Amino acid sequence: MAFPNVRLANRPLHFIYICDCSGSMEAQGKIESLNQAIRQSLPGMAAVARENPEARVLVRAVTFADAAAWHLATPTPVEQLQWRDLRAGGVTALGEALRLVAAALQSPPMEERALPPVLVLVSDGQPTDDFEAGLAVLMAQPWARRSVRLAIAMGMDADGEVLQRFIGPHPQRRPLQAGNATTLARHIQWASTAVVGAASSGASRLAGAGAGSGSAADPVPLPDLPPTELDPFEDAEPLKW
Amino acid sequence: MHWILPIGSSLRFVGLDGPVTIRRGLGGGSQGQVFAVEVGGESLALKWYFPGTLRRDPDLAERLAESIRRGSPHGDFLWPLALLRAEAGAGLGAGPAAGLGYLMPLRPPGYSGAVEHAAGRVAISLQNVLRAAFCLASAFHALHSRGLCYKDISLGNLFLDAGRGRILIGDNDNVAVSGRGGGAVIGTWGFMAPEVALGRSRPDGASDLFSLAVLLFHLLTRHDPFKGALERAIPCLDLPSRRRLYAEDPVFVFDPRDPRNRPDPIEHAGVLLTWPIYPRAVQQLFERSFGEGLADPGCRALTGQWRQALASCLDQRRLCPACGQENFLEPRSAGLCWACAAPLPPPPRLRAAAALVSVAAGNELHPHHLDPLAPEELEAPLARVEAHPQRPRLLGLRNLSSEVWSLGLAGGEEIRVAPGETGSLARAETLRTGAGVITIEP
Repeated sequence: MAFPNVRLANRPLHFIYICDCSGSMEAQGKIESLNQAIRQSLPGMAAVARENPEARVLVRAVTFADAAAWHLATPTPVEQLQWRDLRAGGVTALGEALRLVAAALQSPPMEERALPPVLVLVSDGQPTDDFEAGLAVLMAQPWARRSVRLAIAMGMDADGEVLQRFIGPHPQRRPLQAGNATTLARHIQWASTAVVGAASSGASRLAGAGAGSGSAADPVPLPDLPPTELDPFEDAEPLKW
Repeated sequence: MHWILPIGSSLRFVGLDGPVTIRRGLGGGSQGQVFAVEVGGESLALKWYFPGTLRRDPDLAERLAESIRRGSPHGDFLWPLALLRAEAGAGLGAGPAAGLGYLMPLRPPGYSGAVEHAAGRVAISLQNVLRAAFCLASAFHALHSRGLCYKDISLGNLFLDAGRGRILIGDNDNVAVSGRGGGAVIGTWGFMAPEVALGRSRPDGASDLFSLAVLLFHLLTRHDPFKGALERAIPCLDLPSRRRLYAEDPVFVFDPRDPRNRPDPIEHAGVLLTWPIYPRAVQQLFERSFGEGLADPGCRALTGQWRQALASCLDQRRLCPACGQENFLEPRSAGLCWACAAPLPPPPRLRAAAALVSVAAGNELHPHHLDPLAPEELEAPLARVEAHPQRPRLLGLRNLSSEVWSLGLAGGEEIRVAPGETGSLARAETLRTGAGVITIEP
């Protein structure tokens, strides 16, 4: 005497971190901050995945330094994910990292049906390889063109123009600036919870075109970045990018 | 999680004498965050908004104040209790970006998000799913009766007590007088009425009826009413494709006239199993709401029709003698079990002035069964069919009323059944209750 053992059909939601592990990430504990921010964000990300049964949230991570490599190659259900620390050292082979992501977004191995993938690029510097060629290879993939691409600039030396090129020509969305560990953690949390929720379709729709940071150019409506205690409301920046 | 109110602190708000202690964060959405708080020794929930929400929704404070003035239309809403504004200098906002939130009751233990049901992570009986669906329709009935509309009902703001078939509805901050503008949130993809999703009208009572039908479909079948072949043909389910699927060309998966969006036998096997469980009267309300009701809001099933069809479905509940599974067939008819295909003979029935109720352990008699003018309610059952504790095949009717009943047996004998006692139905022919006479049909 029970409801039949069935569940809502779901689609995979691929979430890929693209992490800068160049030598400069060693400075000021940036790599530790990134490891910590990602690790701390996982319970919240798992909770969002649980609240969105129409999505099967699968996480991967690519690192780039002298070369690019999969740090977490298997698409891993977020509730099973244990974050292994990233280590810094080398230059900034971002172009190569984008080629790796492009290969992963090719069909196959990409499923026939999925939700828009979420790609999160975290970088503190300038690419040392052919970024443009890597970006072109990535954007040649239909799944990449339909992905939600976010970029987080760590510190002031990140190449904002490169990060914007990765995001694409978007009317509002800009790279998120993370000047310290707290802001970084907040951005990572936002990407891994609010954005994942929106890509899974959980977010409520707001009246009026372009409400919030949504735009017709978005594959999913992007939610606001929440303020923190450190950003008292009266000082809040216009939350659009 | 980064919480926008400092956990552990005691904050003062305009309009509240004592401080509010922020105990812990409960969750965050796109509009704000919810905290467990303590106010004057009472445990409550506090929703605190993001500044962006307040900027986009200038009517929010007035709408909440109006809801608080009116009071809750039905006990199943976690209704706003008090509006809180940040005190100047509290670091929570001032001037045009002043911080704002509201207090509401905490969700009691035993309730989990309706997504847990959709995801197949809770064990629940079909009877309790139907009870929950009935309660949901009843809560909306009460809301709409007051001229209000909810605007954004979805799996995300419904909570379920699987053990009792009860519900609670959260996120009541979008509630407003039906048809009145205001409010930034217009709905959730997959639940929004097409005219709202296309921007042709603002959410109102009629669009609520569409969202309610979608949510009821999710509850009863664990499936999305528009995900069939047309959804399978979409590689990337992004915003434009959702718009096409749910608003521009929505086709109900069981539309009797348009077979384009039928469920896939493998990927959508669940709904092919669950949909046939329900009687035609329930199926027809979905067919209408997701058929003519797509373009014509006037054709959508009304809350009263849902209440009637769901209550009547509960009356038809019978158990398969072979596998014990719950089936819902017209009480006098034979059929086959949906789960094991064993034959189902017509069960004994309770005939009351206004209903025919199948005899099956767990089925209940309610005042509306005896009084044709009484509205359907499940709150206060008069009697429940129960099995004898040692002889599970022997069914009786437990007197849940406060009056002594008289059970007339074959042969003319009468026995008294006091409140709390259970009278065997094996030889019973009639039952005299204070509310009316029930005939037992073998």
